[in-house]
Amino acid sequence: MNTFFYGVLPYIALTIFVGGTIVRYVFFERGWTTKSSEFLSKKSLKWANPVFHLGLLMAFGGHFVGILVPKFVTEAAGTDEATYHMISLAGGIPAAVLFLGGFLWLMKRRFFGSSRMKVNTSGMDRLLYLVLLLTILSGTAATLSNITAGFDYRESISPWFRSVLMLSPDVSLMKNVPAIFQFHMFMWMMTAILFPFTRLVHCLSLPFEYLLRSHIVYRRR
Amino acid sequence: MKIKAQISMVMNLDKCIGCHTCSITCKNVWTNREGAEYMYFNNVETKPGIGYPKNWEDQEKWKGGWKLGKDGKLSLRTGSKPERLLKLFYHPDQPEMDDYYEPWTYDYETLIHSKRRNHQPIARPRSLITGERMEIKWGPNWEDDLANGESARQDVNLKKISEDITLEFHDIFMKYLPRVCNHCLNPACVAACPSGAIYKREEDGVVLVSQDGCRGWRHCVPACPYKKVYFNWKTNKAEKCIFCFPRLENGLPTVCSDTCVGRLRYMGVLLYDMDKVVAAASTRDKGEIYHQVLDVIADPHDPEVIEAARREGIQESWIKAAQESPVYKIVKEWQLGLPLHPEFRTLPMVWYVPPLSPITRRMEANCYLPEADEMRIPIAYLAEILAAGNTAVMTRTLQRLLDMRAVMRAKTTGDDLPSRLEFAPEVYEKMFRLLGIAKYKDRFNIPAGIQGKSNAEMREAQGGGLYTCPGGRC
Repeated sequence: MNTFFYGVLPYIALTIFVGGTIVRYVFFERGWTTKSSEFLSKKSLKWANPVFHLGLLMAFGGHFVGILVPKFVTEAAGTDEATYHMISLAGGIPAAVLFLGGFLWLMKRRFFGSSRMKVNTSGMDRLLYLVLLLTILSGTAATLSNITAGFDYRESISPWFRSVLMLSPDVSLMKNVPAIFQFHMFMWMMTAILFPFTRLVHCLSLPFEYLLRSHIVYRRR
Repeated sequence: MKIKAQISMVMNLDKCIGCHTCSITCKNVWTNREGAEYMYFNNVETKPGIGYPKNWEDQEKWKGGWKLGKDGKLSLRTGSKPERLLKLFYHPDQPEMDDYYEPWTYDYETLIHSKRRNHQPIARPRSLITGERMEIKWGPNWEDDLANGESARQDVNLKKISEDITLEFHDIFMKYLPRVCNHCLNPACVAACPSGAIYKREEDGVVLVSQDGCRGWRHCVPACPYKKVYFNWKTNKAEKCIFCFPRLENGLPTVCSDTCVGRLRYMGVLLYDMDKVVAAASTRDKGEIYHQVLDVIADPHDPEVIEAARREGIQESWIKAAQESPVYKIVKEWQLGLPLHPEFRTLPMVWYVPPLSPITRRMEANCYLPEADEMRIPIAYLAEILAAGNTAVMTRTLQRLLDMRAVMRAKTTGDDLPSRLEFAPEVYEKMFRLLGIAKYKDRFNIPAGIQGKSNAEMREAQGGGLYTCPGGRC
């Protein structure tokens, strides 16, 4: 069972995530968009959307440090386990509040707000909202359940994730992981599988090159 | 000198009767799709009025176009690049649907399927967005012929002029303003697009949105001071007037120009000096921008310009078209065409011949042809719209149109010619032929094909199997 969930599924998810995104970019770029609904319902977007995206960026940064930076690196830098845990909570809890709060706010707008929002909500959007809700909820629950630091994910989940990236998954690391963390693992893989088929792709289009470009663009036919 | 070609349009407002034929034919061809119902690439407004979308001219509110900094540098009014990257999540200056109007249809079915009743069945309105019943409160031509009454007073141009405009019945005035994308030389929408999806075509200056490249960041919509880039709520991408480029490429005028029943639209090639564009847009005195733009437009008969145009790879057929361009005649030779709100600093390439209007009542008794400042539409108001408040330019332009009438009238009545004519009488006659008679072949001079074929060859090809449609994918 664990072999499938932590040895096979991550690669299925990764393949669909990367392959699907490439296929969509190359063959279906015309549908690649933020799918902004500001035009349909502007006022309700004003705070909900920036709050959600700020929470998302904070959560992303926290995951990046917690998972990709090995424990011995932070310890070599003089941060012991207790201090690290305090720092991660100090960043993680506000991130969770903004991320989950912003998401619920956006959900309220989308499903209980202006009737115009219906025309901007596809079946795939509904599925995505469900999967994202479960992912964010399980992540928040995992953070909160672990305030007393009973479980050190940097000794299990993080090295496992890195072993997946190194293409030699060490499934045994995931043996004693609490259920809520396991559920979070499953949900992010679902999100990754959905990614190429949803509006999420817009996160790859962050227009940084805009800062360097000249004002007026000319193109030949 | 870096010479580029630009397809440009002139609208002779003196002849516009506000019939909306241009809007309807355009809509039937380009925007009768889901997500685009509310869009009018071409619309006609009655001025004074707040227009479509509401108050689009008020840049204090919408932050469209460019502003000139203290250092003399141009920047987008909606903010610097880093500032606007923060606005990706929520853009405070983006208009929403209600700023345009909510499109609707009617329950026509009830007219057919109603049972026999004492009262006639009615077709009630229904939103084209949500499908729900709706009450119609605003539409794209709600102010037609001043129909909305009160909103005419909200016209930002009225507020800007110092004259006391009462809009009482005895001195009320109005004019029509058909609007399309201006295919500007210094387009703010292009500069605002974070994805680089909007571009100006090198060959003919048409400004287009790549439907593949657009990511739906929506920054073009507020940046365009004319509000002529629209957000499609179905495809979630930006769309705008494409100057009917598939027709241009085949030597045909745009649909709006072709179908104009007043025959008031002109299309042709202008050559312009790319190196002078930014300086012209940065002119300190906004009332002088117009003259600077005229200087950007190059003389297609000047051998130096022709040489420079050839260096840039502009075809002979295009140079020839520029020399015979009706737009060049109206805009540069006779200086009768004025840009819409030049103070937005985008250097629009659609030009307007300002409208003459009836004489005010106090002058009525004692003259046949009025002077420019005796007409119903206040010069200051017209100048606010077409000359950034420069009334001298407006008076001069209107006087030229009046002189043309005086010269043509003198031909039949045998009256003396006015003493202070600016041009030779033959020039006024040419002006009259182009503006008054306005034959199809005189109004449009569009060289077919960036494909390098002549108009005749294109027409031949369309009949046979040789035809490859623009873009080559048919």
